[in-house]
Amino acid sequence: MTALFTLERLTKYLPEQPEQPLFSGITAQITAGERITLLGASGQGKSTLMRIMSLLETSDSGSIALDGKPSSAWQAKDWRKQVCYVAQQAVMLPGSVEANLRTVSNLHSIPFEKELAAQLMEAVGLSRIDWTRPAGDLSGGEKQRVALVRALLLHPRLLLLDEVTASLDPGSKQEVERLLLSWSEREHTAYLWVTHDLAQAAEVSDTVWFMAEGRLLETSGTADFFSEPSTDQARSFIHRESAQGGVADE
Amino acid sequence: MSNWALACTLVFVVVTILLSVQRKLGLEKEIAIGTVRAAVQLLLIGYVLHYVFDTRKPALIVLIVLLMITVASFNAGKRADRIPGIRLRIGLTLLVTESITMGLLLLLHIIEATPQYIIPVSGIIVGSSMIVSGLFLSQMNRELEAARGEIETLLTLGATPRQAIGHSVKRAIRSSMIPTFDGMKTVGLVQLPGMMTGMIVAGAEPIEAVRYQILIMFVLSSSAAVTAIMLGGISAKLWFTKEGLLRKG
Ligand SMILES: Nc1ncnc2c1ncn2[C@@H]1O[C@H](COP(=O)(O)OP(=O)(O)O)[C@@H](O)[C@H]1O
Ligand SMILES: [Mg+2]
Repeated sequence: MTALFTLERLTKYLPEQPEQPLFSGITAQITAGERITLLGASGQGKSTLMRIMSLLETSDSGSIALDGKPSSAWQAKDWRKQVCYVAQQAVMLPGSVEANLRTVSNLHSIPFEKELAAQLMEAVGLSRIDWTRPAGDLSGGEKQRVALVRALLLHPRLLLLDEVTASLDPGSKQEVERLLLSWSEREHTAYLWVTHDLAQAAEVSDTVWFMAEGRLLETSGTADFFSEPSTDQARSFIHRESAQGGVADE
Repeated sequence: MSNWALACTLVFVVVTILLSVQRKLGLEKEIAIGTVRAAVQLLLIGYVLHYVFDTRKPALIVLIVLLMITVASFNAGKRADRIPGIRLRIGLTLLVTESITMGLLLLLHIIEATPQYIIPVSGIIVGSSMIVSGLFLSQMNRELEAARGEIETLLTLGATPRQAIGHSVKRAIRSSMIPTFDGMKTVGLVQLPGMMTGMIVAGAEPIEAVRYQILIMFVLSSSAAVTAIMLGGISAKLWFTKEGLLRKG
């Protein structure tokens, strides 16, 4: 079975810090429908890695491929239709909530899946939001969920979720987790989900990627990762994070 | 104006330099260079125009207009010289703006097809289009900062570069045209345009001078529109790298 997405020895340097890479030698694979959480302390470069994976940034060496075809052989827009990055800071486009939900339909001249949009909005606990409201007026947590629904309507094959539940209350957080699990089941969508919430990681993923010291130290089954992490760094990370109860970036 | 009168205008330069020295502004060198360059450039162009008006060779007129466009493109392109190919796009835009505008002026017999009309009016068209281009580029630089989140969000949803940057380009087009229309609203009340003033000083009837000024104002508004819209259209992809990344503002 060929992988959906492969990362091959990816290395990224920051412009301000040319002597030491932010991360290096990241090699991994994602298969279709695979559910992965990406764990690691703040500043490890998790967001940067995802931005590279969605062609919003370039790496300094190494390569990424989708369906075995390297990114250089793709039109960026065709790549991004399949690999969709949902940013930590949700950005609402100018206009109403509905205009935001219609973005994908407008961009690609395809019919607006109104029914599905309404179902998804309900599933993330936003059924009572007035679609004619200016999207910019929503609260942070509402924006984050609208951004998620907007992305799902693209039906990507791989979702890159960057702390998408960071500003949600526990109830909405659970609704989003349930939605993404069932969505991935139904649509066979893979995801790579950055979270600092270990309980959430255990809940939503089959595989854990763990980043520390500028490397991808572990890619293991979720149960294995939590019961017997193979590195000391992972052991102390789990210890530290569970002691804090999980704290979000920024 | 006599040579004596012209020489006497140096009094104004002396006043400026004295003020700079007295106030320790340190601008003496700038003033001196500016004075010499302005005098030399204007005298030179005066002789060139004198020659061109006499010979009436169409090729020469075209050459002069192309020269204007080249200098203007380089000048406006400074605002975005990290963007490869921007100067070529500006040059093309100015060429089209000048061709459309001058073409209409000549076709409708609004002005005479003589160098006396074509060259100064071309200078006004190219000069103001250069300013509009510069405004457009600096607004785009601001957009790349301020609307970065919006543009990237559209990209993540599979937008083409042109789709992703469309809103920003539109805003930049609008804001680069606004000064031209603001100028139209206040002209004659706040400022008396240079061309009209010049004609009156040179002895033209004020009413005649005003007619030409009206012509110029209308010409400027349409050339601002053509320039901004065309440059916005043909530069849209330049704001992205060949890998499809949005450039830094
Ligand atoms: N465009 C950028 N320019 C300079 N530094 C950046 C840029 N983006 C991120 N960084 C830096 O890279 C490091 C990793 O950031 P990030 O990828 O957001 O990590 P994480 O998501 O794991 O917290 C941080 O130190 C951040 O300040
Ligand atoms: Mg991050």
